[in-house]
Amino acid sequence: MTARNNKTKTITVTIDGKRCEAQFGQTILDIARANSIYIPTMCYLTKVEPIASCRMCVVAVEGVEGMILSCQEKATDGAVITTTNDEIHEQRENIMKLYDVNHPLECGVCDKSGECDLQNKTMEFGINQQDFTARDQHRPVQDWGFISYDPALCIMCEKCVHVCNEIVGDNVLAISVGGYNSTIINTKQGQECSNCGECMSVCPVGALVSTDFKYSANAWELEKIPASCSHCSAACQMSYEVKPESIANHDTKIYRVTNNYEFSSLCGAGRFGYDFGNRGVEKDIEKFEETLNAFRKSETISFSANITNEEALIFQKFRERSGVKLICSEARAYQKFMNALATTTGHSLYSGDLKKLSHSKGIIVLGSRVNDDAPMVKYHITMASKRKRAKITYMHPIEDPSISNIITQFMKYEVGSEEGVVALLAKTLLDGRELPVKISKYLSDLDVGNLSAESNIGEEELEQLAKGLLKKSDFTLVVGADLYEHPKAENIARLLGVIETHSDFELIVVPPATNALGVSLICELDDEALGYTIGYNTKGDYILSSMGGGDMDMPALNQQEGSFTSIDKRLVPTHVALPYGGYVLNDIMNSLGLKKKYTISYTKQLPIAKGYSQIEFDSLPDYFDIDGSEHRGYLLENEKVPKRVELADISDLPTYDGVVIYRCDTGSQFSPFTNMTEQLNREASLRGSSQFATVAKLDDGDRVIFEIDGTEYQRVFKIDTSMKGTVAINPTYDMGLSSTSVSYYRFSKSKLEKMDS
Amino acid sequence: MSLEQFKNRSVGTQTYKMVDYEPTPDTGMGRFQRVVSRTFRGELFVGLYVTMREMINALFGGGMHTTKYPFEKLPISPRYRAIHDMLRLLESGHYRCIGCGLCEKICISDCIKMDTRYDENQRKEVTEYTINFGRCIFCGYCAEVCPELAIVHGQRYETASEQRASFSIFDDMLTPKDALGQQQEFDGFGAVSPNADDNIKKTPLAY
Repeated sequence: MTARNNKTKTITVTIDGKRCEAQFGQTILDIARANSIYIPTMCYLTKVEPIASCRMCVVAVEGVEGMILSCQEKATDGAVITTTNDEIHEQRENIMKLYDVNHPLECGVCDKSGECDLQNKTMEFGINQQDFTARDQHRPVQDWGFISYDPALCIMCEKCVHVCNEIVGDNVLAISVGGYNSTIINTKQGQECSNCGECMSVCPVGALVSTDFKYSANAWELEKIPASCSHCSAACQMSYEVKPESIANHDTKIYRVTNNYEFSSLCGAGRFGYDFGNRGVEKDIEKFEETLNAFRKSETISFSANITNEEALIFQKFRERSGVKLICSEARAYQKFMNALATTTGHSLYSGDLKKLSHSKGIIVLGSRVNDDAPMVKYHITMASKRKRAKITYMHPIEDPSISNIITQFMKYEVGSEEGVVALLAKTLLDGRELPVKISKYLSDLDVGNLSAESNIGEEELEQLAKGLLKKSDFTLVVGADLYEHPKAENIARLLGVIETHSDFELIVVPPATNALGVSLICELDDEALGYTIGYNTKGDYILSSMGGGDMDMPALNQQEGSFTSIDKRLVPTHVALPYGGYVLNDIMNSLGLKKKYTISYTKQLPIAKGYSQIEFDSLPDYFDIDGSEHRGYLLENEKVPKRVELADISDLPTYDGVVIYRCDTGSQFSPFTNMTEQLNREASLRGSSQFATVAKLDDGDRVIFEIDGTEYQRVFKIDTSMKGTVAINPTYDMGLSSTSVSYYRFSKSKLEKMDS
Repeated sequence: MSLEQFKNRSVGTQTYKMVDYEPTPDTGMGRFQRVVSRTFRGELFVGLYVTMREMINALFGGGMHTTKYPFEKLPISPRYRAIHDMLRLLESGHYRCIGCGLCEKICISDCIKMDTRYDENQRKEVTEYTINFGRCIFCGYCAEVCPELAIVHGQRYETASEQRASFSIFDDMLTPKDALGQQQEFDGFGAVSPNADDNIKKTPLAY
């Protein structure tokens, strides 16, 4: 592990007579764009490595013979560059003529019309006749589920293949090379594709389009509502695109979700799970009075972490005023974990973020089925893997075949042994470091043999890990939701804090729900509910629900303005995409004595002590710069907190034998909100390997009933041939209100009972 | 014709013909005599004869010039911009509209709306199309922009109805299927130019 050695040298280049300052290593195109100099491109996509398939970006460099591909050529100091001359223009014109050969003249119906790169460039270069010719061929439209592919419209820019491999990491799309017959092929149709729609979003023409959206609206009719995705803690940048539902029905409908695909990405839940609004709600004054009374007599407010920072602050203010208890089971464990972490790091927040993760050369993922828990984390790990050739160690009790192509080392540990694993990790990563006496004594006192035996992490594996990280720099340790509800979570957190402080590793503690980080910072949460409970999107005696079906309706997260605190420790704004006719939380609280005109009036009041800034909601920025730097909301300050290193001795690690079930929402599902949407809705099933089936004495298709932590589940058991081991996966996204109140260690022993069918 | 003669505003040089005014009688008898002489002059019967001749000619000689509106209507210029027609393809009878949305986009009073969907034949189907005639200013942009000559201005200029909706539904604007033979090709703004064939360039086919 060498220290960071990124010497950045400033260079000066002249582009079209303009002097541009740049960093050494930047490409000509990057520099030109950063300085607002236009170079036309067809295949260039900022977020992936240069594709260099279109050759539109050629420039002339003084003293260099021939033309230079500006997208992949790094600028040298003092270079004099011309972006266009007669020769270059003619070449670009010819490229456009070739792109247009036999391109179907169906702009009138094409979904991409109006935002099509080919259309724009064809106009720009004034191509109005076809000089070249090729025999056309029949190329039927292919249905890939969420996405349809029309090879006739495809211009083979290869952007889709590159995002699929370089960012998503599914390696599903490939190029079938054959000159004019080349097409994009879906190598694993339907099976292992995560249906993220990234390929569709970057397609410059109408070749890859959403099957659901196809032909339903023209791009220019849709109004873009800037928002942040409300499904997981990545809170990705996106826009809801809305339009009245039909001529007969003027209600606003979300037609699709788009994003700034040049710089950011979305997963399938964000892209296809958008229609979760609570529709058709009207103001009912009687119900409102009833709700006020419920609040007046309430002793506890229980809520899910899928709320905005402002709502969380409203609850906190109400707590300060009336002394109710606040319960947020999703965020409470995380809050405790973060507090324990802060005692050994001395900072209120963790150090890593997604951007740093994608630039890391050594990554360890621990305690999270990362592909399902946090797809955005997985995307950034994929980027690190593909671009930085990062060593990626995945530590989990269940092997995940969907990420096997990016990880370099899988370390399987026993269920329940996370504390031991973290201790072993600390010992390995801090080996040879100068440590405070207390910590080095603690580490040398560890009974490595015993821990290694009980956790099933071999010493050779750890050696291999340490060896892989040698002579590398930039490391990130990602830890996930398995740890927060572990019985020994606090000691785990403290150990992780030691690793973060004394090694080169940056730490990312993935928040387990959309705004778990925000709630944990803003609210003082309690452990036990007491008396009459109001449930906000969770169970309670009086239920406020944005899923419909509660005692009182509330707006869903695409019907509210507010902000989230994302995994990047960034406050990001979101806006109203769908109108909402009923009462909002702020109306209720205004009647109960907290006086604020709007919910967003609270944005400025978020606690400064926790790192928030006093910025009005309306002055929060929400855009990406021309060079890709993110200006969404603001970054939280990492506040200093008192440091007190106290590590508990590790006694015997718990063992989990027999039937073990892992709580995990798989396949673009995060919560009941994703499952409510038309495209993502599907039946949940208990999935296990054939080995699990043998242990649990089950067959494929059996109906089983089991109870975990007081909740009864009825599930169809399905054998998943890609899975291994004796742990089954049980999703909770279909459990409605009760799925947001689960709080227990994600692995649990359970008794499965077969149901008679 | 030059403008010279219009610019000549000197009225003094014109030649005027004076009307032969009789002196106005100032006695009662004089006035009575004038009435009688004016009444029984032969010109009266000339007038009556002309009227009678025209009446007989109109009634029996086929010289009637009155248009029996609303039973009869005068032809209007193809450039007249009245209530829109949606045309059909003559060969298949399918409506011409491809749902491209250009009319919706170009409409300056924002009165055109359409709903489209992906149909079973992998085509874009126009499920509903409407023009709000309360807002339409009959500017003709929609007809001009339409790449398929699907929406054109028709000849229906009577825009009085019990319901505005009577005009604005897709089916009402579409040429009835059984009247396909009577469908008139549009000649107004946006129509194909008379020398369109001369301007077409063929795509080279080298193979």
